Amino acid sequence: MAIALVGLVGVYVRALVFTPIERTQGPAQKIFYVHAPAAWAALLAFAVVGILSLVYLWLRDRKLDTIAESSAEVGLAFSVVMLTTGPIWGKPIWGTWWSWDARLTSTLFIFLLFVGYKVLRGAIVDPEMRARYSAVIGIMALVLVPFIHMTVYLFRTLHPDPVLMKPGRPALPGVMLITLLISIGVFTLLYVGFLMQRYALAVLRDVREEEAASAIP
Amino acid sequence: MSGRRRPQVQYPDNGAYMVAAYIIVAVVVLLYGISLAVRIKKER
Repeated sequence: MAIALVGLVGVYVRALVFTPIERTQGPAQKIFYVHAPAAWAALLAFAVVGILSLVYLWLRDRKLDTIAESSAEVGLAFSVVMLTTGPIWGKPIWGTWWSWDARLTSTLFIFLLFVGYKVLRGAIVDPEMRARYSAVIGIMALVLVPFIHMTVYLFRTLHPDPVLMKPGRPALPGVMLITLLISIGVFTLLYVGFLMQRYALAVLRDVREEEAASAIP
Repeated sequence: MSGRRRPQVQYPDNGAYMVAAYIIVAVVVLLYGISLAVRIKKER
């Protein structure tokens, strides 16, 4: 976790000091070096929830449900970064904070889906039922992840096309590409660090709940 | 001698948006990290 935080400081220095300003968009283009990696981390977290939910319904291993729950919360944190930095970039570049186009709307939708996932988990007391219902939502969200990626191709959107995850060579000059790759690596590390901490918290909570349940005569 | 000067690039004046975005990222990451640490401490 500490390595990831130091890495984030490194990304700030690299992006703000050592990466050139883009000629047409100006300094606001540098938001891209935190927005895109945050979006990557959020969708990675949600994809992990979906995959673990699928495996949970097959194996019924509580550990998988606990990791999925943890990944969902971490994904929400990265979604907050994605959904705030996006409009901050959009205002100077598009002239508007928000546009109800397919990419932005579907991203907001997956965020709200996982808010619902968290609320649902808080509302169901029975761990077995909670894990089963949550897994269904997790799998629904997994279908959304590739759809969100494809929206820029399937619909006419304001959102720019991908620069990395696309056919052909990356659409960025070398210096900017290195900054983006470093940032993606650091945000992935942050995701792993947060996930490990959130999982440790979930395990501690489960132990406490089991102790409380066994104490009831 | 009149040396040729390189034309100065005029960037759009939107640095405040960049600063705001980077501050928000740092705040969200730190707040979430702190919230996790506090919750773990409370559970122990």
